[in-house]
Amino acid sequence: MAAPAVSPTMAVVLAAGTSDRLLPFATLVSGAVAMGYEVHVFASYWGLDALRRSRPAAAHPPVTPGHGAEGEVLERTLVERHVPGWRQILAAAKRVGPVHVYACSQSMDVLSLKREELDDLVDEVVGVATFVDRTRGASATYFV
Amino acid sequence: MSVGAGPATAPATARRVIDARGSWCPGPLMELIAAIREEDVGTEIELLSSDEGSRKDVPLWLEKAGQRLLAMTSEGGFDRYVIQKVR
Repeated sequence: MAAPAVSPTMAVVLAAGTSDRLLPFATLVSGAVAMGYEVHVFASYWGLDALRRSRPAAAHPPVTPGHGAEGEVLERTLVERHVPGWRQILAAAKRVGPVHVYACSQSMDVLSLKREELDDLVDEVVGVATFVDRTRGASATYFV
Repeated sequence: MSVGAGPATAPATARRVIDARGSWCPGPLMELIAAIREEDVGTEIELLSSDEGSRKDVPLWLEKAGQRLLAMTSEGGFDRYVIQKVR
């Protein structure tokens, strides 16, 4: 198969910081990069908070509140089945192909976060206009 | 992608086994991609996966990547994919 001249682009806004969002997010990014997409991730609010270096990469954050007993079962299952942490999955995706992770500068202010407090998975701190410009023409856009 | 026996002239090669059973989607595919990158052309890779999604995802990726699926068999509880890196 002839390689396409330009990779398709996927844009993902990550705003959630719970396992039931972060794991599907990391899975989506993995699948996209495996299939040849260039992926741009704009990490904001709780999504950026989840990227704090102080949080262990292998750990699973809690699930979104409101799922009751099922949420507790999910949290237990993630540990018992040795499911990789979402940041480990994202790191593996970055080794497969181009995944750019941007920290939302507004969220940095809101959360009083400094660049050095963020995981090395974060490539740069940008404003929303830069993210929107770099994903101009994206064929897939997601908000998580 | 071609399915079935490789060329009759294919040399016997060492086979790398990736046991990704129990790994959730897309773990098996990602492990396969990493192995394809590491190995030399001609190497055979045997992937074991219990993820049902792999049945569609693995052949699709191989086709896109121009790699060869030599065999895909159900072993009861998991599937065995035999792949050859051809480029």
